[in-house]
Amino acid sequence: MSLFGIAAKTAVAAGLVVALAGAGWANEIKGKVSVQGIKSAENIAVYVDVIADKKFDAPKDHVVIDQRKMAFIPHVVAVQQGTTVDFLNSDPVGHNVYWPSISGNKKLSHNLGTWPKGDKKPFQFNDLGTAPLLCNVHPEMSGYVVVVPTPYFAVTDKDGNFEIKNIPAGKYTLKTWSEDGKPTTQAVDVSAATATVELTVKK
Amino acid sequence: MKGRVLNTSIMASVTAVVIVMWVMLASAPKTSAIPAFSRKYQTSCTTCHNNYPELNDFGEAFKKNGFKFPKDDEVFVKEPPVLLGSKAQKEAFPGAVYPGEIPGYVPVAFRYSGNFNYNAKQPIAAGFLPRTDLFVPNTFTIIGAGSFGPSLSFWVDNDISADGANGNAGLGDGYLKFNDLGHALGLPKDTLNLRMGQFELDLPITQARTINLTPYDVYSQASIAPVSNAACATIGSPAGTACTTNNPLQFGIPQRGIEIGGYPNDGNFIWSVAVVDGSNNTNALRNSKDVYVRVSQRFNLERDPESRNAVQAAGPTGPRDHTSIRFGAFYYYGRNALNMNGSLFPGFGTVHEPFYRAGADFRFKYRHLELYGVGMYGHDQDLLPNTVTGTGFVRTSPVTFSGGFAQANYWIYPWMIALLRYDFVDSPTDFSNGVSRYNTRNRFSPGMQFLVRANIKVAFEYQRRWEQPVTLTDGNTIFFRPNGFVSGIDYVF
Repeated sequence: MSLFGIAAKTAVAAGLVVALAGAGWANEIKGKVSVQGIKSAENIAVYVDVIADKKFDAPKDHVVIDQRKMAFIPHVVAVQQGTTVDFLNSDPVGHNVYWPSISGNKKLSHNLGTWPKGDKKPFQFNDLGTAPLLCNVHPEMSGYVVVVPTPYFAVTDKDGNFEIKNIPAGKYTLKTWSEDGKPTTQAVDVSAATATVELTVKK
Repeated sequence: MKGRVLNTSIMASVTAVVIVMWVMLASAPKTSAIPAFSRKYQTSCTTCHNNYPELNDFGEAFKKNGFKFPKDDEVFVKEPPVLLGSKAQKEAFPGAVYPGEIPGYVPVAFRYSGNFNYNAKQPIAAGFLPRTDLFVPNTFTIIGAGSFGPSLSFWVDNDISADGANGNAGLGDGYLKFNDLGHALGLPKDTLNLRMGQFELDLPITQARTINLTPYDVYSQASIAPVSNAACATIGSPAGTACTTNNPLQFGIPQRGIEIGGYPNDGNFIWSVAVVDGSNNTNALRNSKDVYVRVSQRFNLERDPESRNAVQAAGPTGPRDHTSIRFGAFYYYGRNALNMNGSLFPGFGTVHEPFYRAGADFRFKYRHLELYGVGMYGHDQDLLPNTVTGTGFVRTSPVTFSGGFAQANYWIYPWMIALLRYDFVDSPTDFSNGVSRYNTRNRFSPGMQFLVRANIKVAFEYQRRWEQPVTLTDGNTIFFRPNGFVSGIDYVF
């Protein structure tokens, strides 16, 4: 084989690798969550469960949860394990943030105290599970931090739609968490550029 | 003969007032937590109450601000008000009605409360008292409160029914308040307010919003002269003449009148002056008006300056009431009228007996603990006709009492509160009238309260009361304690 031929084959192979790799990272999961016995399909966390032999670094970017008009905004936040959440107080009244457990484990309860308007307090969530956010003087305030093991997650919109982007090709287990429904588990094959799934969350 | 008529009249008066006093004890008017505000702001009762109807620091600030959030109220309102004229209409005044507003929701809430009473066995000679009584006074209350704009607020609460079916009930508070009138005069915020209507006096510790199942004894104390008092018979009056003081004033009962007051410096200093009828009967009992004055100063003991200046302190586990101590003093002066129709002292005119109540109080808050107490002295100058000159009145022995209460509340959990209360009233005239075995009537009342929900409460209170005399049919006098155990349910919605 001539030198030109070798160079040409190498270039084609390299192009294929790049193309395949590019195609793999561009995959996404699109889906819709339907609910049975639950008022709304909004604010349901959908995430890819633990991937064997795969570890992810903790994200450096912080996520912000605001306390505004005596409400946690957004109501449900999904974060990757190790993410730091900044709790902001935008109200001119005193608030505090605490969670009595993480997924029922009361040893993981935590109280962040009180801070004035405009200030924020960070907390790094290293434990998997759901932290129900509460304020001890305004018990009507409610929020959730859903800590998931992978960076592949989303929270449904008001119609139950969600998108998980930049997921490599492969076979995964998709899980849901919702405030009022039972967890749902479903296998998903992300071999095409877009995998479409339909999930149902029951009360 | 004249003395005999007087004695009969006095006995009737004493009996009537004692009966009224006990009815009042059983059904003291109560105001309440306001679920209407929960609806308006979509927030829980606990925003303003640690144990309703008692207000926490935020609730106090909310009330003082004309039932609005202390800062940026409009941000939190979930039900916007209905404007009674656009804001720009102010510029058209006086050519147009000054614009106001009414709540966008129906500002009405309801409260039900009923107690289960277990009474100690008492001698039959003292009258029949059932050992148990279910759901008394069985009170249903309607409450309306809110604001009519930035500087006007209102309150109306009415016990629709009390004491069972067809029981008598009535208006508790019903007033209109002009907030922060001093703003127009360049005075500091909340220095001057005006309230008019029927309202509870600016008492050191509120009776209307008490968390207790029974009223404070000293607030229910009326001044009634002894049936027989030798001192009165020796000053120019006919032999056998007794003192006649019969003053129905009770501190815990709302009154009709006008009050000016303020709470500048973030409510640390509070002052009020009220001119009132002296009672809240259908018609005023006399021409003269009474005056009530109160001042108090709170010392904020929070160390962190930012926390000290906030509406609530920033605790390590969330907002809480400031660690603080408040000292206050009050004075009430009036002239009680007797003999308006000449039946008590025929041939003499109306007698105006000057009286006063004076006292001091404190309130201390530290985390889950709250301590407070009130001391009070009452003095009614008894006047009798001067039968030597045939005109005018002479001073005789005054009717006096002193007393007060001290109470400790401790929040074991946010929903479980332990209470310890001590009431005492030293009244020689009550002793003379057979109300108690000794001058001093003491009551010790430990209790527990549970917030089953933020708007539902179950309360328990035991009362160890003073000894009372009762004369048996054989003429012997024995003493008994009308102790009792009360458990109550109370819910608002």
